[in-house]
Amino acid sequence: MSDAPDATDEQSPDSDVATVDPLTEWAEALVEELGAVRAIVEFETVRIEVERDKWVETINAAREKLELFSWLSAIDWSKDVEVGEPVDDPDALDERFEVLCRLSSIEDASGAIFVTTLDRENPSIDSLAPTIGGAEWHEREAHEMFGIDFVGNPNLTPLYLPDDFIGHPLLKSYPLISREVKPWPGDVDVEAMPEPEVEASDDEGEEST
Amino acid sequence: MTTPPEMIHRSEAAVSIELETPDMTLNIGPQHPSTHGVLRLVAKVDGERINSVEPVIGYMHRGYEKLAEVRTYAQITALVNRIDWVSGFANEVPFIVGVEKLMGIEAPERAQYIRMILTELARISSHLVFMSSYPLELGATTPLMHALREREYILELIEEVTGGRFHPNFNRVGGVKPAYGGGSTTKKQSMDLPQGFFQRTREAMDRMDQICDDIDQLVTGNELIKMRTVGVGVIPADKALEFGLTGPNLRASGVAYDLRKVESLLPYDEIDFDIAVRPGGDCYDRYMVRLDEIRQSAQIVRQAVDKIPSGPLQAKVPRVLKAPRGQVYSRAENPKGEFGYYIVSEGGKNPYRLKIRSTSFSNLSILPYILEGELVPDLVAIMGSLDFVLGDVDR
Repeated sequence: MSDAPDATDEQSPDSDVATVDPLTEWAEALVEELGAVRAIVEFETVRIEVERDKWVETINAAREKLELFSWLSAIDWSKDVEVGEPVDDPDALDERFEVLCRLSSIEDASGAIFVTTLDRENPSIDSLAPTIGGAEWHEREAHEMFGIDFVGNPNLTPLYLPDDFIGHPLLKSYPLISREVKPWPGDVDVEAMPEPEVEASDDEGEEST
Repeated sequence: MTTPPEMIHRSEAAVSIELETPDMTLNIGPQHPSTHGVLRLVAKVDGERINSVEPVIGYMHRGYEKLAEVRTYAQITALVNRIDWVSGFANEVPFIVGVEKLMGIEAPERAQYIRMILTELARISSHLVFMSSYPLELGATTPLMHALREREYILELIEEVTGGRFHPNFNRVGGVKPAYGGGSTTKKQSMDLPQGFFQRTREAMDRMDQICDDIDQLVTGNELIKMRTVGVGVIPADKALEFGLTGPNLRASGVAYDLRKVESLLPYDEIDFDIAVRPGGDCYDRYMVRLDEIRQSAQIVRQAVDKIPSGPLQAKVPRVLKAPRGQVYSRAENPKGEFGYYIVSEGGKNPYRLKIRSTSFSNLSILPYILEGELVPDLVAIMGSLDFVLGDVDR
């Protein structure tokens, strides 16, 4: 199940087994211990991919070691981008939601972000709130912002938004209304933004900022 | 700790017969001075006992995570120091360092020291706001004047360097902005801190030691303050961790967890300081941790001023800031706890997604848990002791 060598290869293809850094080693040991899918270590940030069905179980097991529940949120990986810049390569993009949960150790600097993938059509996942009280608010936020259903959350009502609000604002397809009405004043720069030399053909996303 | 008999509330002592009473709904806020902004609490009370509390937040939700998706990395700095406006500078640092990590840039050492000095000044200023507002909420009006007066010295220092009292917007990717009013104006030679800044900082730090002693005498030993806070609103360490409490709120529950020691983005390892920890987990300990931290921060600033190396303020950066594809979580010790940014970059000028882990949001989420079963008069004492800022809760 754990596919450890692949994970390191992806980040640093030139590193051989002898020079695996301690963080990657630590992350892979954690993957082994929890029965997760794989670990991705980049920019000193550990991400651990977990199967959706084992989400609650894995995170509760990980809290034995990483006691502090830090945050929970989601990412909308979508081709339909209304605001901001689209992903690097839209054609190759696998449209999905990622749910992330960060746990930290209180002994040292170690910590990991647990990631699982949800279907974009019908996003639903078991709630952490019954076992981790602090997750309730974070899940309510992710629920209203992305429309993800957290099964078992006792109080899945809007947290920030008004009760009659329609839509999920952090979806990439949700427009930023104020920007539609009035273009971003930051565009009017005293000095024109120089074009990057290497990517002369890259003109996408210019009007969005 | 057990409540001594003289501290049991009258309402409790008087009830000797069991009466069936319906719960009353008590609505507090959103416009209430004790709620530090616009927070609404819907409390179900049975006499003086709170059965349950439902905080209603979002009155100040500005959607920073969405706004960040249409702004460049340089523009986001101006946004993030508005999240927790009491310590604006401290919010900028983890974001900027996160972007620097993505781009593979490291700020020069002098810039890192300036960041550290200003972060600690922001911490002192934030804690002084707590030192003024918390006794006020408990009914003591005098410390307010003392603490706010001293805070002015800190804000003046921050303004002198950055040009802004609350929203410095001083960090740049790869360093700090050339300071306002100092040094050369030619583009080639980067400007430096204003003349005499270090001397004035040293003097201000001596004042901070003095104000800590003053507050100690006014508040710490005050019997009324102690009666209102000792043993009130106890948060056990395991609950604090479960709800993601960090900063002074966690350290008051006996957990010596300070990101300045464990994972520092700034050269804190070259500075000698202690983590303020208290074991009790009650309102009094949360207050004491913050008072101790002012002293520690003053010590850090003094050492940093002595040790600051000379050199440039800015590393070489490309003219157009584009972070390479990748995801990074960058966090730092804000005056209120762990403040973090999860930056998802797809290689463009804007982040694809920016998750802001704001401190007060997690710190406030424990409120329903600790208020359950407490007395209504203690509600403000407990709420105030968590030291939250609504802008930080609502983002």
